[in-house]
Amino acid sequence: MEYTNFPYLSAILLSCIVGFLVILFMPEERKMQIKWVSAVFSGITLILSVYLFLAYDKAQGGLQFVEKVPWVESLGITYFNAADGFNLPMLLLTGIVFFTGVLTMWELENRVKEFYAFYFLMVTAVFGLFMSMDLFFIFIWYDVSLFPMYLLIVVWGTTRKEYGAMKLTLYLLAGSALVLPAIIYLFVASGLNTFDITLLMRSGTFTPYQQKFAFILFYIGFGILAGVWPFHTWSPVGHVAAPHGVSMVHAGVLMKIGGFAILRVGIFLCPEGWQHWAQLMAVLATIGIVYGAFVGLSQKDLKYVIGYSSVSHMGIVGLGLSTVSVDGLNGAVFQMFAHGVMTALFFSAVGYIYDRTHTKVIAELGGLSRIMPVASTYFIVAAMASMGIPCLASFWGELMVFIAAFKTYPVRGALAVCALVVSALFMLRVVQGTFYGPKNEKYEHLADVSLALGIPRMILLAVLVIFGLFPSLMFDMIETASIPFMNGLP
Amino acid sequence: MKWFLFYPELYYFTGGMVFLSLSMLKQSNPRRDYFAAMFLAALGVLVCLINVNQEGFLFLKAYRVDLFSQVFKVMLSLGLFLVICICSELKAIAERHHPEFYLLLFVCTMAMMMLVSSAHILTIYVALELSSYSLYVLVALRRDERMGLEAGIKYFLVGIFVSAVMLLGVALLYSATQATYLADMIRVLPGALDSPLVVIGLLLTLCGFFFKLAVFPFHFWAPDVYQGAANQATAYIATASKVAAIAILTRMIAVTGDGSIYLAHVLVILSIISMTVGNLAAIVQKDLKRLLAYSTVAHAGYVLIGILSMSTVGYSSVIFYAMALLVMKFTAFLVVVKVADDGSNLQMTQLAGLHRRSPLLAMALMVSVFSLAGLPPTIGFTGKFLVFAAAMEKGYFTLVLIAMINVVISLYYYLLILKAAYLQEPAETQAPLHVSPPVKILAGLLVCVMVVAGIFPRYLIELASAAAAALN
Repeated sequence: MEYTNFPYLSAILLSCIVGFLVILFMPEERKMQIKWVSAVFSGITLILSVYLFLAYDKAQGGLQFVEKVPWVESLGITYFNAADGFNLPMLLLTGIVFFTGVLTMWELENRVKEFYAFYFLMVTAVFGLFMSMDLFFIFIWYDVSLFPMYLLIVVWGTTRKEYGAMKLTLYLLAGSALVLPAIIYLFVASGLNTFDITLLMRSGTFTPYQQKFAFILFYIGFGILAGVWPFHTWSPVGHVAAPHGVSMVHAGVLMKIGGFAILRVGIFLCPEGWQHWAQLMAVLATIGIVYGAFVGLSQKDLKYVIGYSSVSHMGIVGLGLSTVSVDGLNGAVFQMFAHGVMTALFFSAVGYIYDRTHTKVIAELGGLSRIMPVASTYFIVAAMASMGIPCLASFWGELMVFIAAFKTYPVRGALAVCALVVSALFMLRVVQGTFYGPKNEKYEHLADVSLALGIPRMILLAVLVIFGLFPSLMFDMIETASIPFMNGLP
Repeated sequence: MKWFLFYPELYYFTGGMVFLSLSMLKQSNPRRDYFAAMFLAALGVLVCLINVNQEGFLFLKAYRVDLFSQVFKVMLSLGLFLVICICSELKAIAERHHPEFYLLLFVCTMAMMMLVSSAHILTIYVALELSSYSLYVLVALRRDERMGLEAGIKYFLVGIFVSAVMLLGVALLYSATQATYLADMIRVLPGALDSPLVVIGLLLTLCGFFFKLAVFPFHFWAPDVYQGAANQATAYIATASKVAAIAILTRMIAVTGDGSIYLAHVLVILSIISMTVGNLAAIVQKDLKRLLAYSTVAHAGYVLIGILSMSTVGYSSVIFYAMALLVMKFTAFLVVVKVADDGSNLQMTQLAGLHRRSPLLAMALMVSVFSLAGLPPTIGFTGKFLVFAAAMEKGYFTLVLIAMINVVISLYYYLLILKAAYLQEPAETQAPLHVSPPVKILAGLLVCVMVVAGIFPRYLIELASAAAAALN
């Protein structure tokens, strides 16, 4: 066993698991207490993740807060958690979205206990995946994060929920069907009898052929979750069907798992495979960006619009990863963080509007900015972030990715930038149709967001602005991991 | 003779005799029979546990007691105990037949214990037949005679056909190797595995075990028998009987040493077809027991993946998988038995509203279904992982990929079960299910075992490796 100091990472996991168990043994009727318990435990994880983000020693870099416990020695499985510049932004993102998601679902009345129990289970796995440095555990967390989704959508969801839930679950599990053979393949090929990523990633462990072979499996397998075109079709359907808090975690964090896992597993273990397939990644990512923008243009449902904008934005992450450069990696990770916060804000705002109006169809809304100005502001800010307006976090991620992409792939980079204009167009169209124009009399009487209910949206908005104004907070962090990693490449 | 090696079998024989005498009493008393069975089965688990470290030979070396056999005996005794735990309301069996029901269960368990210890081809055959015949009668005992008899006769006809085929295989094998002891075969077979006679003889012999395990193409009995038998009898066939089949199949394949390329190819094909057929057929089932029957066929395919690796790692993974199968299949049947409390068959639609009628059973169903589907952090995932890792070590990448695709297919119908239990509401409101405290504790324990053994599989893996090492 090996502890540098207090096991903060395990403490995050533990507070999720304890929260899950406490909720499980609380009586069903005490809805308010269950919500408070959820808020407290998710608050603890948020505080811990913020603390970790600030306490990380950037000058020293490398893996910190290491926790290592042998799990199954005969198979070389270790419970190995660590934090570095890549996963700290993701942990912070998860903490933020988790806490705000719990608050967003505050008005839930139907089967509250089960909802929060499954919700905690899902987020536990997400935290676990981001902090784990052991291939076996990464796969376990990956699968565990998926299956609560089915029940969360099918029981509490809305539009076409049974179809959406089944499609989402089968797609994502199909991804894991590619990932597991690839993991076992590498495990057997290495001959080291270990799942420890830091040991496996030493150069020379795998032959170029093995790297190419495994990387494409990882890329497609995890890429399904990251919404890589053409495996993205589950994502808009699933997001539309899911309840808002779940959409927040799902689009905000779970899709990032895909991108992050491509980085942590695919790129870390198979750098030569990464370079080999980079061209293909860039093509798929560009298609995703352009396609997401154009399909988003013709959507009539608010959540579908966000769903397709997610496809487009995750394409930017993919494009960043495909550039094989420090800037590209920085931009991709930053974009994952920014997009997570932004999408969470989107779904949180839509959630409020939908709970009041019971519709997400743009044509039926209209003039909402005069009925609920505050709720509208949240959505509009998210829309501006989605367009990449400076001073908001996502601007920097997109900027970095495009700079890197122009250097490596001028044509594809230019195409992607053009698609941004289209995506700005469709966002403006949505904002115009929903919040301006003639008022729909039906919704005249609806109240605006109260201060208490506004808390989660304010947090998200504040995060967008803070990292928009001070991007170096994030870039300095990511660079502690990306520069050594790129320098270490052969 | 070292009789203490034979204690578990003797114990179950005595247990059977107790019920034989009970069945001759004039007035029937289901409570008495139930508690007697419960007590004897619990004691039986203890007897097997005490004997777990025994080693030695009996009956002119035709009977081998080693860690492998003893671990399986513990599993079998546990299977019997669990099945008897859910027999408290045995409504599908006429009351006067209850002692016979328990008698057959005990005798069948004894026969399977002999099966896992047999080291001589004739002992294997006799033990196999004894267990099969008990099961034929067990299936036919159902109160609804049309259903039970039909299933029993189907089972019987397929069974005797397969055992005839198996005898032919044994004869061919004997003519090629002049060996009847497995120990002799181990010496002769690896060198002779390229001769067609040996391969055909071996495959025909294996048919008998494929039938027990419900591997394609010997799976046709499974859905009908599962549906036709009383729920508790089905639970026994799905758990204990499968465990025994896995044990003897593993022992037989282990005899061939590194194995022949032909044998491996045949097993690969059978495995792929079993998985695919089982999973595809399960999708359209409306009756939960039929669905579980097809999922058993699919699981037989996964088991074969571990066996066809023909390495110690593979055998140990199979042993682990057998443990997993015992727990997760039984949990699913626990829910079936408790939800269909009048002893009838359970349709998928009858699961509607289960989360309200009994949250605990709904959760047990959820965990067992996820375990059957092979999702972490359950014991089912660990089992699949070990099996796949063993196959990958032998370079079966495509096979593992196909198996994983099958896992995704199977997820579809497992999710339908969950949807029925968690989402759908019954047409008319039904009263909450009455679940007695012991059953609640049992269900809670099973859930804990599935999850805890999935998260901390270390000791079970070590036990399985040690048992597999005893094979050679």
